[in-house]
Amino acid sequence: MSEDNILIHYEHYSQNMTKINFTACPECDLLLNPAEPVVGDKAHCPRCGYLLQRPRKQSIERTFALSIAGLILIFPANLMPLVGIKMLGGAKDGTLWSGVVTLFEEHLWGVAVLVFLSSILFPLLNIILSLLISGHLYFKKPNHYLAHWMRWLQHMDEWAMLEVYMLGIIVACVKLSSTSELKFGFGLYAFVALLTVAVMLASSLDKVLFWRQIGQLNK
Amino acid sequence: MKPKKSALNQGFIRCHDCGCLSKQTDKNSHCRLCGGRLHPRLPNSFQRTAALLLSAFCLYIPANIFPIMTVTRLGVGEPHTIVGGIIALIHSNMMPIAMLVLVASILVPLLKLLGLGLLLLNVHYRWKAHAKKWTIMYRIIAFVGRWSMLDIFMISILVSLVDMGGVAQVIAGPAATAFAAVVVLTMLAAKNFDPRLVWDNQ
Repeated sequence: MSEDNILIHYEHYSQNMTKINFTACPECDLLLNPAEPVVGDKAHCPRCGYLLQRPRKQSIERTFALSIAGLILIFPANLMPLVGIKMLGGAKDGTLWSGVVTLFEEHLWGVAVLVFLSSILFPLLNIILSLLISGHLYFKKPNHYLAHWMRWLQHMDEWAMLEVYMLGIIVACVKLSSTSELKFGFGLYAFVALLTVAVMLASSLDKVLFWRQIGQLNK
Repeated sequence: MKPKKSALNQGFIRCHDCGCLSKQTDKNSHCRLCGGRLHPRLPNSFQRTAALLLSAFCLYIPANIFPIMTVTRLGVGEPHTIVGGIIALIHSNMMPIAMLVLVASILVPLLKLLGLGLLLLNVHYRWKAHAKKWTIMYRIIAFVGRWSMLDIFMISILVSLVDMGGVAQVIAGPAATAFAAVVVLTMLAAKNFDPRLVWDNQ
């Protein structure tokens, strides 16, 4: 089903059910007529400039496909060594897990939990929730939990920090490069791929469209 | 610019989660689309942001005083604070990386504390000027917050990689916990601040 059809359905639904044909800007609360930008356009709030909606081509299908790709990539990225070093006769491999474990062993459990959440658990949950939501929307299966999942996904969004972790890897490697020999493992390539998929996933997921669809499915 | 009315002034409440508008009546305290609780503005936004910001400010001091990691080479331990780590990077001719760490772990947390503090003053004293610029500042603060985690992730990688007993070892220090708490608290403060409060004063 094309997105145009979805929009028509939604208008029909919104007139029958809610009888409110306005939206409001989330950052300045300006009452607006609902903008319906086409793919490639952006809708900005006229008062504060907030990006209201940026429709994507085949948002649901792409989100579905990308979350499957992410779910596959998350295993090598987590389990295989990211970077290995050789230094003064010793050699060591580092994975996402080993950092968390070492921090925990050094009794910095707060930092360990934070690193675990933001580099392992939240990215994983992000992808699982995207898969569940886009899967249900793609196959048009109503589910009582869709709204809950969508809400969790929105709250979890900013706590999944793969791109910051990537920058952390780069800085750590530059720091170590003068004193030791570095070896990039297969896990790092999987991690870069996972990061790319996660960024594409975030940009392909059109929240406005997803909420509309959820409202329509759970009617 | 002629004044435009906010949705709340006209009796509509926007759902925080799905963005659906509801009429402001006593009966519907839950959103009809997603079932989330409706609040005209984020509940206790000012107080929560102020409390989180104050805690973050207090923790910012130990985060900078105590060593964030101790680098041991051939049995000799050398504790580094956040600033010390940056100076060490400059001395070993890694200017770009030093600038990156400076921005992520010193400037960003500091500007966040300052910026959110100013936003709170703005709301409290009902400053009327430049609401759009304040909103843009809030948007920048909310966006850059997560990048401060750079230092924490870097330490997590270093402690797991450089672990050769007495020969070479990196041990994370007490400032790591304090700094991580500053990042989390400022992120929560930004999340709890409702930018619509700035526009309500117009």
